[in-house]
Amino acid sequence: MSSTFKLQCHFILILLMALRGESRHLELRERADHDPFLRFSANLKREPAEEQLYRRALRCLDMVSLQGQFTFTANRPQLHCAAFFIGEPEEFITIHYDLVSIDCQGGDFLKVFDGWILKGEKFPSSQDHPLPTAERYIDFCESSLSRRSIRSSQNVAMIFFRVQEPGNGFTLTVKTKPNLFPCNVISQTPNGRFTLVVPHQHRNCSFSVIYPVAIKISDLTLGHLNGLQLKKSSAGCGGVGDFVELLGGNGLDPSKMMPLAELCYPFHGPAQMKIGCDNTVVRMVSSGKHTNRVTFEYRQLEPYELENPNGNSIRELCLSHL
Amino acid sequence: MRLPLLMSAGLLLVALLPCPPCRALLSRGPASGARQAPQYSQPLDFFQPQPQPEQPQQPQPRPVLLRMGEEYFLRLGNLNQSPAAPVSPTSSPLAGGSRRSRDKAAANFFRALRQQLPLPRRSLNSPAGPGERGAESTLGGHQEAPERKRRSEEAPISLDLTFHLLREVLDIAKAEQLAQQAHSNRKLMEIIGK
Repeated sequence: MSSTFKLQCHFILILLMALRGESRHLELRERADHDPFLRFSANLKREPAEEQLYRRALRCLDMVSLQGQFTFTANRPQLHCAAFFIGEPEEFITIHYDLVSIDCQGGDFLKVFDGWILKGEKFPSSQDHPLPTAERYIDFCESSLSRRSIRSSQNVAMIFFRVQEPGNGFTLTVKTKPNLFPCNVISQTPNGRFTLVVPHQHRNCSFSVIYPVAIKISDLTLGHLNGLQLKKSSAGCGGVGDFVELLGGNGLDPSKMMPLAELCYPFHGPAQMKIGCDNTVVRMVSSGKHTNRVTFEYRQLEPYELENPNGNSIRELCLSHL
Repeated sequence: MRLPLLMSAGLLLVALLPCPPCRALLSRGPASGARQAPQYSQPLDFFQPQPQPEQPQQPQPRPVLLRMGEEYFLRLGNLNQSPAAPVSPTSSPLAGGSRRSRDKAAANFFRALRQQLPLPRRSLNSPAGPGERGAESTLGGHQEAPERKRRSEEAPISLDLTFHLLREVLDIAKAEQLAQQAHSNRKLMEIIGK
């Protein structure tokens, strides 16, 4: 093959390669959508049109259990306001400041609390929460926009706010995020079923029902999940090792509630207890050495059950503390 | 012979090379495939526009952070507008007579509730109080410490609410949630029906 012929072949190959690249340089754009200012519009990053954001006004005392945007506007000086947020057990609460107009220097405030606090009693308790109490309060006036989005550590959160000037207020967007292993939960309903799993974590988890309920524990696993049950997975109850305790009381803080029963041996089969207290908590204490799981059902006690306590009932004990 | 051949090949290459970047674009406007940036993963991104799905045709103004004297504002759009976004009943997806009556009932309930509420704790005698006082004192070195201390002492960090009232507001919230779910289901059925 002559050198000239080789050169021509190379030339043809180069041409073919160049043409292939050119064929990729295609740009299809619908004329209707051609907008030179489209890149500067915020619509590119907006949510899909089908996803409508729920909006309503926030009241001075309020409870919010769904996602959406909530706006508080003071029509008169509002000095003592609070709003509770609650999600599903397997959700975190995220609060995002969209717009805040308050006079911090004049005494207004807007604080987010990681959990619920009622009459000075917190849920989760200080023992069960990863943060110290002081860090559970996030003050907008102090943190300002450095903490524009706040996520709770469990399915409940609340805000405290004071707005003195009529017309001032704020707008929040509340969303939920999935929580794979819910640890501290307040149930939205007095009836339900839940499985509390603590996978090799050294932490204490509480499930609270703020109603007088009958608790039926159907399954308790303290140890490995493969069915190899330990005869004695821990040193025993009495606050040592891994165990589950039932608490009852008239406050929100599990650490201030009465221990009614302790379960430190795995078992299958229902074990029921009626607890006539304002608040019932199933609390699991885990050392982190094992994966622990407890499944239970709860139902609200009927009025006749509260009036005529019998059997496994702790109503008198709760009433004595009122 | 070779030189003209090479020169012609070079000229052809220059003429046919695609303009960088070599790309293929298929754009149909704000498509569903467009990557949605997480809305709240950048707390310092003050100038990230806020989504308003109910007004897709209006360009979103950028937020502006102002500090005017003693006040802190986080505004969107016109500086002359009221800082707090007004709530329009028509913007609610549940606008309707039933919702208004439910809202009115809830508002009446909360009005009665506030009248029954005792004064919130001010003495900070709760377990959270000393903790917060400690947090306030550890800040230190701040020029606004007296104002902040005064504010923290006056700030109610807890709410005196009975469990009965807590359950009542929880029931109202659950009813609202169910109503919203019913509304969403109705809209979904309407879409499917089309």
